[in-house]
Amino acid sequence: MSVKDQITRRQFISGAAGGLVVGLFLPAGGRLFGMGEAEAADLLADGAAFDASALNAWVRIAPSGTAELMFGGCEMGQGTMTGLAQLLAEELKVDWTKIVIKRPDTNENPNTPVTPYTSSYLGTSTFRYGTGGSSGISRRWLPLRVAGAQARELLVAGAMLKLRASGTEDTDRTHYVAAHGEVTHVPTSTRWSYGALVSLAATPDARVLVPFIDDATRLLTATADFKIIGQRLQRPDIPAKTSGAAKFGIDVFLPGMMFAVVKHCPTVGGVLSTTPATPTGAIKVVPLKAYDNRGAVVKDSWNALAVVADNTWKANKLAKSLKITWKLPTSTASVDTATIAQVAQQRLATPGAGMWLAEPVATTDPTVIATNEAAVTAALGSATAKVQATFNLPYVPHATMEVPNCTASVVYSGTTPVTCEIWAPTQNASSVIATASALTGLPASSILVHTTFLGGGLGRKIEMDYVSQAIQTSMAVKAPVKVMWPREEDFANDQFRPMAAISVKAGLDSAKKISAWSYRVATPSISWQRATATNNNKLKLDGQAVEGAVALPYTRGSSLTEWVPLDSDVAGLPVGYWRSVGASMNVFAAESIIDMLADAAGEDPFTFRMNRITDARTLAVLAAADTLSAWRKTLPAGRAWGMAISKAFGTTVCEVVDVSQPALGTMKVNRVACVVDCGIAVNPDAVEAQMQGGVIHGLNATLWGNAVFKLGIAQQLNFNKNRMMRLGDAPEIQVAIVQNTYDPSGTGEPAVPPVAPAIANAWYRLTKTRVTSLPFFPGATMGGL
Amino acid sequence: MAMYNLNVNGTAYQANVSDAATPLLWVLRDILGLTGTKYGCGIEVCGACTVLMDGQPAHACVIDISSAAGRKIVTIEGLSANNTHPAQKAWIDNQVPQCGYCQPGMIMSVAGAMQAGHHGKEILPEVKNLCVCGTYQRVRTAVAKL
Repeated sequence: MSVKDQITRRQFISGAAGGLVVGLFLPAGGRLFGMGEAEAADLLADGAAFDASALNAWVRIAPSGTAELMFGGCEMGQGTMTGLAQLLAEELKVDWTKIVIKRPDTNENPNTPVTPYTSSYLGTSTFRYGTGGSSGISRRWLPLRVAGAQARELLVAGAMLKLRASGTEDTDRTHYVAAHGEVTHVPTSTRWSYGALVSLAATPDARVLVPFIDDATRLLTATADFKIIGQRLQRPDIPAKTSGAAKFGIDVFLPGMMFAVVKHCPTVGGVLSTTPATPTGAIKVVPLKAYDNRGAVVKDSWNALAVVADNTWKANKLAKSLKITWKLPTSTASVDTATIAQVAQQRLATPGAGMWLAEPVATTDPTVIATNEAAVTAALGSATAKVQATFNLPYVPHATMEVPNCTASVVYSGTTPVTCEIWAPTQNASSVIATASALTGLPASSILVHTTFLGGGLGRKIEMDYVSQAIQTSMAVKAPVKVMWPREEDFANDQFRPMAAISVKAGLDSAKKISAWSYRVATPSISWQRATATNNNKLKLDGQAVEGAVALPYTRGSSLTEWVPLDSDVAGLPVGYWRSVGASMNVFAAESIIDMLADAAGEDPFTFRMNRITDARTLAVLAAADTLSAWRKTLPAGRAWGMAISKAFGTTVCEVVDVSQPALGTMKVNRVACVVDCGIAVNPDAVEAQMQGGVIHGLNATLWGNAVFKLGIAQQLNFNKNRMMRLGDAPEIQVAIVQNTYDPSGTGEPAVPPVAPAIANAWYRLTKTRVTSLPFFPGATMGGL
Repeated sequence: MAMYNLNVNGTAYQANVSDAATPLLWVLRDILGLTGTKYGCGIEVCGACTVLMDGQPAHACVIDISSAAGRKIVTIEGLSANNTHPAQKAWIDNQVPQCGYCQPGMIMSVAGAMQAGHHGKEILPEVKNLCVCGTYQRVRTAVAKL
């Protein structure tokens, strides 16, 4: 869609609420949320009449001159709000710290401690909100800048009208300067603050004076003139996070609020036989139904209960001692990780009719598949050198530091709900509204969602399970109630990063070119688990199952990528979006094989890759990583290096790691060099932080991450059995951001995928052992403090 | 139901707690309204609940309220007025927090180490708080000059 189409179809300007408002639709992560690009286009297809309720962000210049940006995302540590303020300030020509960013829950300026209990923008409940897919900045880059620029030009037009009203006619735009929240008419040295211009700026007369209002090339500030975009700015929410003032979902307190702790059936897929009687000291025991199908968990089955009391500890203690009779599912084999892994191996070898060819073409047609396979088999047969391996990756939990929790207050008139107010650490406020509407029968206009700070999102807090439970509980007790999960419930009831079994065969010809590449991954599908009668997910290739395996940068001869779906009958553990999703699995296999090919070719891993990649941006990342990791050439004995490169969410990251083996069965990761090309880095400090954090996230999964289930029961229930990096384990991490002027691409997730193969490649260099199963150290424990 | 005298951040509180085994963490949060101290695991492995008790780092999730009574407790809210503790300043200068949930506990561990006379790199072995966002690189930089 052209820029012009994007603007005219999705943005509108009005004088609503006494200010100048530019409304716009900002697409969320696309695949993850209720409204992606296609749905938005459909909604606005008529063009003639904009449906204001479809818009989900506003730039509003108030008569006071304050610039407000309201958007429906969340703050989970990625610092997107700062970046958005930078984009808007650059175009609007205001001080970025003066931009008030309003999330749907608060009237407060993020520079002051956030109290999430005031509501604003009531009636925005039809807006679409969501955070994910590393899209916070990248998807808003153009629309938000355009909105700011349009507002700026209309304010200048307002100045022209002011001048006209005072008897001077001058519509020459070059005579006006917009800067620092003011418009100056240079020839007469007249100045007006933006606040004084808003009412005129919102009029049709002003619009007439800006004939280029839809022309982004005319509107937007040139990259070379950026003063704010590209600056390392401090995040306004950080002081509240160092003082203890920041309120996360779990910190919500309301007058008259009750406290509830959730207990799920310890066997996945099991349900309540009966609701236990309310024990002494509890207010109520509330049976809870599952909000959606998730593998062995069936939608609307009573898979959990909440114990409500007047404080968290009491509720928790009562929940732990409650005698509950569960009805176990008929088959728990589909929630046994050892069994699932075995089935995956069998299906890898004998895929059967349901297999998808993903690349070179997406199809389940067995004839097409056979033809492609024959070609690759032939190429492998005539290869001069061949490598092959089967890789095994486990389910991995999210383990956000803040456990799942949600506070809900459903208010009744007699037996009828009249309003529903929710405070949630959620990445997905749109779905919160939909969930509340489905449970209470209330229209969106009677539902208000406050998005609190999130103590980690990581893809877990997109889900509605804990939100649904809070609403159900509030409906049962007819009072506000904060519902939380103890950590043990979190580890046992995650929506895990799926497991994968991957077999790869690759070959080099006599010129050492990659002449054959056969890649097959057997893994469950997140979208298939969520298939409904209306969304037909099971008729489609799940792009996430093969992301990181397709669109590789390497020139290859005959190649194919196949996906063997593992449906819920054989893989019943709930799966969900885990930071970097499918790439977190497939890049491990792909980049391990590339290193094995390099070894077979007798070439250095950097050289091998550079000689088989033509994309200039990818080569630039490799070159920068080569420089940043110059230390690898003089590592002392007992240390070895390894590298990997991948592209995810539009962003290419190359990592080089330095590892050693202090004792048999241990690994020390000494250093990681990380080079990222994310296009223009709106706030380089935030990008660097996401790289640093993504590396640690990847290391946790590579070394230890492993959710084991035996006959439906989780074997790791807390951090003591789920080892993760502490300060003493963490390597030195160096980050370099490639400088270029391409549009920004995502940074929240792309640092994760290269970690596992870089570590495996380094480990091979160190020990001559090729590790193909993750985690490196299953069963690792973490000691007490 | 029993009344416990608590000394938290220099203020005397009387907390009415029915269960003597209630951890200090939940009294701080649910009864005193001091939510800066966080729940992460409940088993003294993650450190999100770190406070100072008589000057020493302590993990509020495993300390019974009866043991905490009468002791001098400092939580993140009482560490300074307005982010003026050197650790808090260093945390802001180096933009350490990401989601921020673990950081009160992390900062209290650092403050405790400083109070015990450790400085710079010597502080590092005292800080075992779990950070899932992975802010350790900046923690190291921030601590280096403390």
